[in-house]
Amino acid sequence: MPTEFKKNRAVFHDEVSIEEAEALLEWLQTRPTAKADLSACNHIHTANLQVLMAAKTGISAWPGNAELRAWLEPALKSGE
Amino acid sequence: MSSPPMNPLLEQFLSEARDFLETAARNLMQLEDAPSDEGIVNELFRCVHTLKGNSGLFTFPEMTRVLHAGEDLLGMVRSGQVGYSRELADRLLEAMDFVGMLCSEIEATERIDASRAAESQQMADALRKLMPGSVPGGAEARTSARDAGSLTATNNTALAEDVQPAQLPKFGIIPESVRAAALEQCRQGDPLHWIAYRPQRECFFHGDDPLNSARQTPGLMWGRVVVPGPLPALAELDTYSCLLQFDLLSNAPREELDQYYRYLPDQVEITAVALPWLVDEQGKCDDPHDAPAAARPLPPISDEEGAALERILRAQRQILLLDDRPAWRAGRVRAVAEVLANLSQATGDSAARADIQLSLADALSSGHNTLLLTWLDARGNKSPASERSRESAAGEEAAAPGNEGSAETSRDAGSGAGAAVTDDGVKFGRRAEDSLTGPRSLKVDQAKVDRLMNLIGELVVSKNALPYLAERAESQFGVRELSREIKGQYSVINRIADEMQDAIMQVRMMAVSIVFQRFPRLVRDLSRKLGKEVQLVLEGEQTEADKNIIESLADPLIHIVRNSLDHGLETPEVRLAAGKPATGKLTIRAAQEADRVVIEISDDGKGIDPAVIKRKAYEKGIIDEAMLERISDQEAINLIFAAGFSTAEVISDLSGRGVGMDVVRSAVDKINGSVVLESKVGRGTTIRISLPLSMAVTQVMVVESDRQLFGVPMDHVVETVRIARSAIRTIKQSQTAVLRGRIVPLKSLNSLLGIPAVPLANSDDELAVLLVQAGSAELGLLVDGFEEAIGVIQKPLNGLLSGLTAYSGSALMGNGSVLMILNIREIV
Repeated sequence: MPTEFKKNRAVFHDEVSIEEAEALLEWLQTRPTAKADLSACNHIHTANLQVLMAAKTGISAWPGNAELRAWLEPALKSGE
Repeated sequence: MSSPPMNPLLEQFLSEARDFLETAARNLMQLEDAPSDEGIVNELFRCVHTLKGNSGLFTFPEMTRVLHAGEDLLGMVRSGQVGYSRELADRLLEAMDFVGMLCSEIEATERIDASRAAESQQMADALRKLMPGSVPGGAEARTSARDAGSLTATNNTALAEDVQPAQLPKFGIIPESVRAAALEQCRQGDPLHWIAYRPQRECFFHGDDPLNSARQTPGLMWGRVVVPGPLPALAELDTYSCLLQFDLLSNAPREELDQYYRYLPDQVEITAVALPWLVDEQGKCDDPHDAPAAARPLPPISDEEGAALERILRAQRQILLLDDRPAWRAGRVRAVAEVLANLSQATGDSAARADIQLSLADALSSGHNTLLLTWLDARGNKSPASERSRESAAGEEAAAPGNEGSAETSRDAGSGAGAAVTDDGVKFGRRAEDSLTGPRSLKVDQAKVDRLMNLIGELVVSKNALPYLAERAESQFGVRELSREIKGQYSVINRIADEMQDAIMQVRMMAVSIVFQRFPRLVRDLSRKLGKEVQLVLEGEQTEADKNIIESLADPLIHIVRNSLDHGLETPEVRLAAGKPATGKLTIRAAQEADRVVIEISDDGKGIDPAVIKRKAYEKGIIDEAMLERISDQEAINLIFAAGFSTAEVISDLSGRGVGMDVVRSAVDKINGSVVLESKVGRGTTIRISLPLSMAVTQVMVVESDRQLFGVPMDHVVETVRIARSAIRTIKQSQTAVLRGRIVPLKSLNSLLGIPAVPLANSDDELAVLLVQAGSAELGLLVDGFEEAIGVIQKPLNGLLSGLTAYSGSALMGNGSVLMILNIREIV
């Protein structure tokens, strides 16, 4: 499972596909203070990214993948 | 076709695509007559839809794009939003032709030239323009914007300063380090492109992942996510609608970017970036060499990044230290140099590239990697991350001794990339909702079927030897029991062989619709060109005949149809003046009559005037004066089959070069067919072509003459009669007899073949006469006796015998003897 929903933290693994987006959206709607852990994430589908951006989700850990981080950090930083 | 075998899936796609295109073209044609027929629209839609889906299995975005637009348009026609119009049909036919052309291109080269992208976009735009309430304006605006983009791209030496800043955002959004690297690129004259990637909202449904596409952009130097407007509240957010956009900076050449984004030319705007854009207006720090790289804020390097950097450097070092000398050493060293250069660039040390290039040149020429290693050592010391990561790296190395550690990481990276690729593949599969079901029919090379047919032919012949064997067993060896058993076995084998022969004939049978289906388009195009209105009626399309027959029918039929349209049918005004409906009618009918296929092409045009034909034929020297007087109207009309005959006053590009009808006749003759023309002035013309069902088995009448057997093709045999010697009269030198009130000339087969023997009469003093049809004349052949009529597989004469025109071929008889088949036309 690329996305693991902990108590108040979504942990993304490896590649997160568009199939996850709907679940992520629902999950975030009920948890406005939830954080995302992207440390093990290599790619995140655009659909998920826009959910995270729209939800202004805080990031608890940035991706280890530097290139991905360069993409996500400016886009998601506003949420912190 | 290229020598390596084509991917079988692609091969199948192409052959299916052809079928779909033909069906689509036919449906469009039918739609012209019945614009509101839902069934046709549905079939047409399905056709284009399936074709589009199939094309998506391959990387032919140019084809998919046009088909997609066509599908959308047809979807609207289907739902009644767009009405059928001639323009619509024209556009769609054009699009189908374009797709057909792409198919041919793929067949020849297995790819589509990237230059087709623009053409395909135009075609798709033209189709979309026909959709009401669509975004033709939007599409056009996009197109023009793109055109402007490409304009700047081609003129980038002119540095359109006043254009570029307007199109490009302020460079201030680009991090300083990237700007420096880009500036360096620009100075070296390397290409630099700004890509504004604006994905369609529904792009997720096409399996696109814009972020992934953006990340994988070739030569990507920098990129960012752009939110065009405020994102909706979570409750209103549609996960499946793409709201994000991307800005990218790439140093890949334009062609590479075009190639990469060939699926989405309408969603990206690629602009060549010129130097001025990168230079600050105030002129501060416009050169990285003036202001040292260290002075500029470098992107912070995290611990993980530092460690990764260190690992990569160590891996490169290890590669350089390898002392084997494989053939690919040069490539390996180059790869290392490239990695090092990129690494330096990533950490903001863009000046390092020149050093690395120098070291690389040395390494390549000297065969030693010393300089590169030295550079690497120096680099390792000054790396800002090195100190921080040294301890952790050392720890790792201890845990994984030797070079395994570094190998591991590179393998990890490799598998990561691999996963990304397979992920792409999966997305492709997802769109194939109309995936290929197992093929219902086999496509077999014709040579294989021919071989099978030959083998069966031989089996039929050798099976015929069994009755002779049975007879010998009885008469020569006196074993009656055995003879009966052989006969029993023979009847079993006979039945199976017959069925086999029948089955193989069925395999070779094709419906005439294969030939007919091109006529609707031909008639439509030609009649428009000629300003005539023609209704084409096709009948009996399911009539079947042997493949060779059907194929050799195609050209003669096209000639005839062209002639009918050009010379036969009149323009609407002329027709109305003559009291006929304005729309002419052209009927092509196929039917099976006994063992022949009859094809009839009739029009209700002006018909052929025998007087005109006679005069023309005389003028062209085809007939002489005496003939001109004598010839009947029907015979005159058939003169149009003579070589070099043309009645057209003006040679048009359709017909009238005098190569029409004689070509038809010779083509029909070649397959043992016959052609007859009937015409009534002012009422129309009918041409009947009669063809054998199959060329494989020829029915021949076996006759005996001077103790030899000869075969006469059944097509020529009119009847067999016995005439009393006394009833034969000699007029001048030729013998004649009166048969059913007609005078029939008689000739002895022996004399025709140069055999010095007279025909033998039977005990009642009657002579055997085989009445044959030779051209338009009937002739009685005097022979010694008649044998049975049999089906034989005729083989052409070859080698020395091929010069014998008296025989059309030979066939093997059941007893192993050779039967010569007479060529009646030649000998009489």
